[in-house]
Amino acid sequence: MESIRVETVVKQFGGVRALDGVSVEIAPGELFFLLGASGCGKTTLLRCIAGLEIPTSGSIHFGERDVTKLPPHKREAAMVFQSYALWPHLTVGQNVAFGLEERKVPKAEIRIRVAEALDMVKLSGFGDRSIDQMSGGQQQRVSLARALVVKPKCLLLDEPLSNLDAQLRVEMRREIRRIVKENGLTAIYVTHDQEEALAMADRMAVLSNGKIGQLGTPEEIYRTPRSAYVANFIGETNLIEGEVQEFRSGFATVQTGGGPMVGRVSDPNWHPTAGEKVTLSIRPEAWRLGTAQDNHLTGKIVERTYLGQRIQYWIETAIGRQQVVELNPHVIHEPGETPVIVQSRHDDVVVLKA
Amino acid sequence: MKRGPALLIALVTSLLFAVFFLYPAGMVVKQAFVRPADGAFTFDFIGSVFGNPIYREGLWNAFILGAVSTMATLLIAFPLALIGHRYDFRFKNALGVLVLAPMILPPFVGAVGVKQMLGVDGALNALLMKLGWMAADAPYDWLANGRFTGIVLMNALHLYPILYMNIAAALSNLDPAMEQAAENLGCSPFRRFWKITLPLAMPGVFAGASVVFIWAFTELGVPLVFDFARVAPVQIYDGIKGLDKNPIPYALTAILLVVAALVFAFSKLVMGRSPLGTAPRPKGRMNVEKVGGVKGLLCASVFAAVFIVASIPHLGVLLLSVAETWYGSVIPEHLTMRHYHEALGNGLVVPSIQNSLMYASCATLLALVIGLGVAWVVVRSDLKGRGFLDTMVMMPLAVPGLVMAFGYLALSQEGKAFHFLVGEGGSPFFLLVIAYGIRRLPYIVRSAVAGLQQSNIMLEQAAASLGANPFRTLRRVSIPLIGANLAAGSILAFAFAMLEVSDSLILAQQAQHYPITKAIYTLLSTLGNGTELAAALGVWSMAFLSVAIIGAAVLGGKRGGLFKV
Repeated sequence: MESIRVETVVKQFGGVRALDGVSVEIAPGELFFLLGASGCGKTTLLRCIAGLEIPTSGSIHFGERDVTKLPPHKREAAMVFQSYALWPHLTVGQNVAFGLEERKVPKAEIRIRVAEALDMVKLSGFGDRSIDQMSGGQQQRVSLARALVVKPKCLLLDEPLSNLDAQLRVEMRREIRRIVKENGLTAIYVTHDQEEALAMADRMAVLSNGKIGQLGTPEEIYRTPRSAYVANFIGETNLIEGEVQEFRSGFATVQTGGGPMVGRVSDPNWHPTAGEKVTLSIRPEAWRLGTAQDNHLTGKIVERTYLGQRIQYWIETAIGRQQVVELNPHVIHEPGETPVIVQSRHDDVVVLKA
Repeated sequence: MKRGPALLIALVTSLLFAVFFLYPAGMVVKQAFVRPADGAFTFDFIGSVFGNPIYREGLWNAFILGAVSTMATLLIAFPLALIGHRYDFRFKNALGVLVLAPMILPPFVGAVGVKQMLGVDGALNALLMKLGWMAADAPYDWLANGRFTGIVLMNALHLYPILYMNIAAALSNLDPAMEQAAENLGCSPFRRFWKITLPLAMPGVFAGASVVFIWAFTELGVPLVFDFARVAPVQIYDGIKGLDKNPIPYALTAILLVVAALVFAFSKLVMGRSPLGTAPRPKGRMNVEKVGGVKGLLCASVFAAVFIVASIPHLGVLLLSVAETWYGSVIPEHLTMRHYHEALGNGLVVPSIQNSLMYASCATLLALVIGLGVAWVVVRSDLKGRGFLDTMVMMPLAVPGLVMAFGYLALSQEGKAFHFLVGEGGSPFFLLVIAYGIRRLPYIVRSAVAGLQQSNIMLEQAAASLGANPFRTLRRVSIPLIGANLAAGSILAFAFAMLEVSDSLILAQQAQHYPITKAIYTLLSTLGNGTELAAALGVWSMAFLSVAIIGAAVLGGKRGGLFKV
């Protein structure tokens, strides 16, 4: 178990700056997520930590050790690849044993540890199978076992579940988290699937354009996004533009095209002044269909999607379409119904810098 | 970390190339322009080559032989490759291997067989007379035109596999979606071929055709056997004896080199302009049409016909090796195994087999080590100038074997730079191993590069992340994964080294050091049953090489299935 410290890492590929001064510190034993749209630099950052890329500038530390220029095979940072990267010329057991053999572990011990690792991923007895006899989910678990068996200083996972079907993915989330926690591993997990990150992460960083947009626990990031990008990327949201009228003890009253609304200011260090342009973020589930109180808009239902456990409406208002989600709906409204009123709590309206 | 070993490999390879490739080739060119007496630069020798009608004719003949042989080769190879690409028919895999038959027989040995089969007193005329389709007193000379037709025929029958494999590879690297898109937009198969397939396959055609042209243009063995002396390579060979006094062979060699380099550069230019040069591997499914019935039979019979015609030389050699006498009859009248027994007792035969095996295996090993290193640098490192390295190791394809052999010969004379490579008793071991090895390097590099490009780099990164250093990764992951590619490339390199003519004929001077090809050539000009003994030795080498080639085909075929990533 070791901490990982990334300091102002820059990675330049020709004219493209894939990482633009990223700094982050990951605590020992933490399951940390790197999240972002494709091309945001998350995989590049992971590969820099693995040693598969050398940063153009900046440094990376494992504990007290500077590993920035250390080649990958000396880092003891085992990686699980998106494509699994299992060697087709070796059996399941030989794949798992590989890292131990490279560490010159005695043969008898290798046999025991491979069996344990396969057991941990629920593949006992599959050691003699060849790789192409394994299903996608099994291959994923072999690659996990192969990385875990060497007891790495840190475990790096590059979208390990993206090739699995939806049901298996949900199952494997719990499995990976259990294994990481049981082994007390420091793990960095790259994904573009925000649900995966919310469900599994201790903390996460949302990257955009090679920079960290926001860093925090899943709850912090979902409930208190610091930018429209983060609000939009993690979950869905309705964005409304407006102008600050008044700011008092963390809440601002904002004049919008649909009337004044009160919202929570996301950044505690930011004291917006009257007249400042801001953006409001309201989650679809934060809107409730109801009666006119403060923080409300009036409109007409233009579209409806029934999703079983929940129902999704698009409501046309004076300031654009609002997405509204109701869980376990009591009444199902029809498209064309007018007028409808949507209303939200002050706490659920987040005030962002425009 | 990657840069250190990569730089080392690049430097060592470049050094080897500079010493054993550029230096001898440059030496030949230099001798063509420098007066030995005072070391002054001169165009006199080149001038006197072009001033002499005999040499002018020799060069012209060589050029025409090259051009016509290439056209003939193309006519055989293209339909084969296209049918193989489009259709799946019965016995396709077996026939695909059989049409590679020419590669097991040194072309000049094949020429002996062709003379037996198609000569004025050969088997074909005897058959036609027997059937009464030809007058017994007016036999037709199939190999006429001063042996020209025979040489072209032999060249084409020997060289079409090179072109066939190049075109087939180009076609199978086409993204099937290209053809499917054309089909989908309403393009008929015929128009699709002219508008899509052919233009996209052109790089492969040019790559193969340039190699074939250079080969035929500088072919020495076949014209020698056909007693066709009015062609530049033979004129050079004949000039070796008086080399210290006569600079004309150097001048001729330099001219061959320039023409070959121009042809190669031209084909590179054509390939460079094509967007296909760096195309990724195809993603879509191949649209191979399964054909049965008459159509399938037709496809199979095209392959079978090519195989049968291509086997004429082999058959000739085989029959000759078991013939008591064979003259003016369809098959030899009395069959005997006598020549095989006698061959075993002949002082040339057994040592030549041992020599060839040793030269060819050492050369293959040398090429394998260098080739793997170069391929790794080219595909896996980010070394600047790796593209140049790649081009450099392919250059031996552009330089005629004759030129290299000549440079080595000149440099291995008493007091010259390579004299130390001449072993005890004038053994050409090191010279031949290096010459064979460098000239076969392109085959290994190409197959290793293809293997590395096709195997997922993440398989190697996974090994690194589990603690394997670069050399261990190479040994435990990369080499096993591309083992089939390496084996296929090595077997080709080995086979071509066994069949090599120019270096062998020119560099092996003592009988006890002769490789198979030189032993066969020497036996051919021996009185008595020399020709039959040569045929027997030829049959042995055929048997040997067919095992090697089938091995390569089997391993190559497994590549897709076994190691799918």
